[in-house]
Amino acid sequence: MDRLLPLVQNETLKIWRKKRFYVVVLVLIILIPIFTYAQMRISQTNAQNFKDWRNQVMNQINDYQSTLASDSVPEEWKRYRRIAVQQLQYYLDRDVNPSTPDAITFTRGFMSGSVTLFYPLLVLAIASDLVSGERTTGTIKMLLTRPVRRWKILLSKILAMMLYVSLIVVTSFVLCYLISGVFFGYEGWDAPVFTGFDVSGAQVDSTNVHAIPQWQYMIMQGGLIWFSSMTVALLALMVSVLLRGTAASIVTMMAAVITGTILGNMASSWESAKYFFSVNLDLTMYMNGSPPPIAGMSLPFSLTVLAIWAAISIVVSFLVFTKQDILN
Amino acid sequence: MENKRTSSDTLWRVVGLAALLSTALLVAGFGYAVKDLVWPSPEHTPIQSPQAELPAKKPLSESSEIRITAIGDSLTKGFGDDEGQGYVKQVVAMLRDKWGIPVRLNNNLAVNGLRADELAESLRTNKGYQYTIQQANLVLFTIGGNDLFQSVTGEKASEATGQFDLEKLKAGMPEGLQRFEAVIEQIHALNPNAHVVYVGLFNPFYEMEDLRVGSPYIQQWNQQVYDILHRYDNMTIVPTYDLFENASDLYLSSDHFHPNHLGYEQIATRVVQSLR
Amino acid sequence: MTSVTDAPPLRPLTEPAVRRDIQPEKVLSVRGIKKSIRGKMIIHDVSFDVRAGEIFGFLGPNGSGKTTTIRMLVDLIKPTAGAIEIGGFNVHRHPEEALRHVGCIVENPEVYSYMSGWENLEHFARMQPGIGRDRIDEVVAIVGLEQRIHDKVKTYSLGMRQRLGIAQALLGRPKLLILDEPTNGLDPKGIKELREFIRSLAGQGMSLFISSHLLSEIQLMCDRVAIISHGRVRAVGTVDELVAQAGSYVVWQFDQTEAGRRLLAEEGVRLVANDEHQIEEGILAPMKEPIVAQMPAGRIQDLVEKAVRVGIGIRSVQHVAPTLEELFLRMTEGESIG
Repeated sequence: MDRLLPLVQNETLKIWRKKRFYVVVLVLIILIPIFTYAQMRISQTNAQNFKDWRNQVMNQINDYQSTLASDSVPEEWKRYRRIAVQQLQYYLDRDVNPSTPDAITFTRGFMSGSVTLFYPLLVLAIASDLVSGERTTGTIKMLLTRPVRRWKILLSKILAMMLYVSLIVVTSFVLCYLISGVFFGYEGWDAPVFTGFDVSGAQVDSTNVHAIPQWQYMIMQGGLIWFSSMTVALLALMVSVLLRGTAASIVTMMAAVITGTILGNMASSWESAKYFFSVNLDLTMYMNGSPPPIAGMSLPFSLTVLAIWAAISIVVSFLVFTKQDILN
Repeated sequence: MENKRTSSDTLWRVVGLAALLSTALLVAGFGYAVKDLVWPSPEHTPIQSPQAELPAKKPLSESSEIRITAIGDSLTKGFGDDEGQGYVKQVVAMLRDKWGIPVRLNNNLAVNGLRADELAESLRTNKGYQYTIQQANLVLFTIGGNDLFQSVTGEKASEATGQFDLEKLKAGMPEGLQRFEAVIEQIHALNPNAHVVYVGLFNPFYEMEDLRVGSPYIQQWNQQVYDILHRYDNMTIVPTYDLFENASDLYLSSDHFHPNHLGYEQIATRVVQSLR
Repeated sequence: MTSVTDAPPLRPLTEPAVRRDIQPEKVLSVRGIKKSIRGKMIIHDVSFDVRAGEIFGFLGPNGSGKTTTIRMLVDLIKPTAGAIEIGGFNVHRHPEEALRHVGCIVENPEVYSYMSGWENLEHFARMQPGIGRDRIDEVVAIVGLEQRIHDKVKTYSLGMRQRLGIAQALLGRPKLLILDEPTNGLDPKGIKELREFIRSLAGQGMSLFISSHLLSEIQLMCDRVAIISHGRVRAVGTVDELVAQAGSYVVWQFDQTEAGRRLLAEEGVRLVANDEHQIEEGILAPMKEPIVAQMPAGRIQDLVEKAVRVGIGIRSVQHVAPTLEELFLRMTEGESIG
């Protein structure tokens, strides 16, 4: 095991020097101001239209209720709206602002909104290249002719990948907080957030609801994002071991991730879709009490599905990588 | 040269340590999130009513700002107005012109098809309703139409059809008024200082021969409402029953029940005329 | 080496080759390996040994299975059958032990172009225990890359990459150095330098395994050679042995060419027509009317005397060894060779 650390160091330095992480940071630095600006415009409009947040929440509730009264709205949407109304009402009844206008709240929303597409994309920038990149450049021949067993090489790559997934999640938080704070103020660490809504039924069950300070909520949410990003990363690694080309790996993985998003939006009638990994990527919905896209999904269910996909990826990656002939 | 040799190790130490700490933090966060979601420890936050400062009791024209809260049914919602304004937004605009002071719409909380008993219940229990009523120095509302017609047909007013049992309409009236009174009491209890304007029922049936027989009862409702409202010096009913009687093609929308934009403008004009 | 103007030449190591002949120990032993890829037999039967301190040539045309064999030597490809041992360890069962004493460049020297030469060497040094900065400095000095070692590899010329690849291969003080077509892409000066460099490495007791499709290279550099074609080893032996097997020529030049030819024919000497022998053109071109004969070297004296006796003047008699090419062509039945 003492020989593993230098290998992890190698892989970490290679990813760094290949400037993969710079790309991730660059994308974040470009995108976050765009979203911040959009959010700022919304906040400005709200500030103009509403005296305080309670009026705004009441208005939102009223809007949802209006769609509930409409006959042309599908029952599925009505269920979402009903749940949203009950949660907003829960905040209102306790005089707690569900979205305080500050950098932490913005960051929370940004991160939870990014979990199904944006984080996978950032993770793929690093994970899809780990093995296929060495193949394309031929350096894999140097790497595998050193007196190190192949499984150690792969393990060191996985560990380095894990380190970067963590860095991506934490960096995105830091950048988002720093950038959005310019406009919204660097506050909100202590603002309470309610979690524990049970939305499995038609009505919201608030028996287990409790308030968590936002800083703690952020760490928990970050942990869940990390878990789903790791699953994507491990799958990407497997695909890059199997497909050999970086571009092909990224395209394949993006297709799978996007499929999951689309299925999540429309597959409530096709129940088996819930076993697909990318339908389960948004673990944060279980924290903020959004109803899952398909009935029967819960946090333990999604964690299990993701863990099984990740485990299969690891097994396949190791089997293929340690056995395969390097022909090109 | 010496610097370059050590830079690899320094870089590794910095990146590796940062990444390791991040990983530890996120893994801990993940563990705590799972624990918190799967085995939650509920801790109930007490229900707490937001308290808004009541407006001073003085004429609207002397206020520094007019803050309007609108509640009620589809008429207040503005159903039928293709421009999405209804009478409420037109009142806002007209008042702005009239006195040149800021006019703000706190909320328009109207819901299509709402009945007086539902409105009374919301006012009694919903903190948001209470808060926004308390903020207001002008409350606009319409209610009762759905109560009246549901007692007859079991349907919303807008869906009422030809079969009309006058006896049932007559019998349903007292209960409807009782509900109405509950609404009034709630509003008064929440905010005795606000000016409250009730837009009376208008008569969309005048030109339909089958339904015309119901017309006197609508007028009767308005009369009884006035009996209740006149007890409160800050409340008024604005009559509208005459507005559309011979001009339904001009003022009513395609459903022949709700006013169109022009119809709502007529109502708004009357509301503004009643204010001082 | 090509277009390297700012780097000094490869520096031959000065230790003399004293122990080469007294170390019969096998560094690399290849026993009956076969390999089929997607159901197609690529390597039918390859066996040979590489002894300590020798330069072993691996000669074969493109597509003969050279590269596949080399990949099997360093565990990039698993053989379907047979065994490869390096230093007594089976490469595929104990890669860590077996590859510890091997340095190699398979095909082109592919290193990480987004890192500097130094960072590349650090990277590979971390993969084996006991290689410190001193050793990196050492190998950089050996290949003469001190000036450019902290530049990014993408700015290197092919020759410099080759040097970096060799430096990388030397890091672990290997007992066996495997170089796949090392002279590819080098200019004549670079090839000469590399040849001297390889000799000096062997002089230190290192074994070298060098593949090439160029006969001249192998002949100039190697002590022993294996010839591979169509996935089979056709011959293994010292270069001298193989040349002897091929037979040799005697080239005569008389002042009366026709009379000389008649004399040789009368004496029963087999004459070879110009388009049948495999002597390099460069040797015959400057000669005036050469007559190529195939005959035992022992008869030269006797025939010279006879010619003098009948009054035919002899301008020159030359014993010419054939190139490996002829041998090769005979073994591979006419496969083309570069």
